[in-house]
Amino acid sequence: MLLTWFMLGGLILLFAPERLTGKFQLAFARVFSLPLSVGRSISLAAGTQQPLKDAQERKESQYQNHIANLEAQLKQKNLSIQQLSGLRDRHPLEGASLVLADVIRSPTNGSSRELIINRGATEGLAKGQFVLGDNSIIGIVSEVSFRAARVKLFTDAGSRIAITAGNLDVERMMHGTGNNKAKIQLLQIKHEVRKADPVYASKKPGFLDAPMIIGKVAECQRDDKNPSLWDITVEPVCDIEKLTGVAVIVMELKEN
Amino acid sequence: MRWLRFAVLIIAATILQTSLIDMISVTAAEIKPDVLLILLVFFAIYSNPTDAVISSFTIGFAADIIGPTMGPRMISFGVFGILLADMHQVIEIRKMSHQSLAIFMTGFLTAALAYFLSFLKAEPTASGAATELLWKPIYSAIVGPILFLPTAWFMRIGKRRMRRF
Repeated sequence: MLLTWFMLGGLILLFAPERLTGKFQLAFARVFSLPLSVGRSISLAAGTQQPLKDAQERKESQYQNHIANLEAQLKQKNLSIQQLSGLRDRHPLEGASLVLADVIRSPTNGSSRELIINRGATEGLAKGQFVLGDNSIIGIVSEVSFRAARVKLFTDAGSRIAITAGNLDVERMMHGTGNNKAKIQLLQIKHEVRKADPVYASKKPGFLDAPMIIGKVAECQRDDKNPSLWDITVEPVCDIEKLTGVAVIVMELKEN
Repeated sequence: MRWLRFAVLIIAATILQTSLIDMISVTAAEIKPDVLLILLVFFAIYSNPTDAVISSFTIGFAADIIGPTMGPRMISFGVFGILLADMHQVIEIRKMSHQSLAIFMTGFLTAALAYFLSFLKAEPTASGAATELLWKPIYSAIVGPILFLPTAWFMRIGKRRMRRF
């Protein structure tokens, strides 16, 4: 009898909508946020062999990401000037505010790559908002409770984000592989893409006003199944595992 | 069964699994032992059948709380925890090597069933299968029997009962 009830409970949890069952996970993260954060900090501190070198590398990475973002914004500005000459435009991300959040925990289980952060609906977070780490996009808010939120990283196997690569103007979908990498497919071989080219998350009205760097090309080779297409592997431009804080881009939709 | 101690132990293990256990992860694939799996095997072989049912599903629920989705681990831990408890009525798991083997087999089977159930739920399970199915159970099997003694001490499981196994 006991077994039947527990099995029934398990099956209900399994087939209930994610937005309902996910609240258990967010509630746990919220209730035990302190021990989880402390444990994660200790774990990160223990894993850092050369703190000074790591800090310098991280700073350098942040500056490089910032420069890449500025280049993308400049490119978009030039396009705006060409297309909308004479019309009033505004600075990219001018209408956005950044909500800073601490990482409570980073559950990486199998192909799942996610973060749980200590900001939620009360701070204006909503599903679909972009999340920044070291000046680069690292993922999208996938679930929100009152005081916590879940961020699906772009490397998660279920992640799909529209991107542009290098200096190309064509937009493609990038999907995560679940092993700290992502793939760009259906990009024809005629487009020139090289290793270490920056990859930008495309702008998305209401969520992102200008393209921002999301990763860089780690590998670029012909697709085995279709040689007329590229098989591009993208890696993050920051060490997501070591992030202790992130920023969520919250667009202010009110008219100025 | 001392349920209050059990609850404290499971909460502590769940927090430990998502934070400090990362310190002993190995290789780029971040292979780490599964403390909850070790506890599942411990309670399956040291509890009476009714307690084994409750503890197996509860530990599975805790594993789901820190996992990517709710449901698969609760069912898989419950099913194989009960099977292990039943099997223990017939075959005694006394030696450390036997305990290691039990942890490995349970880890493999629970991961396989959890993957299948995640597939039913249309959750992406593209990669990381080798880590979940093979390497994590192996690592847990190595560490597991060592953790049995402090767990038995915390749960106040007597020496007489320990000797029986």
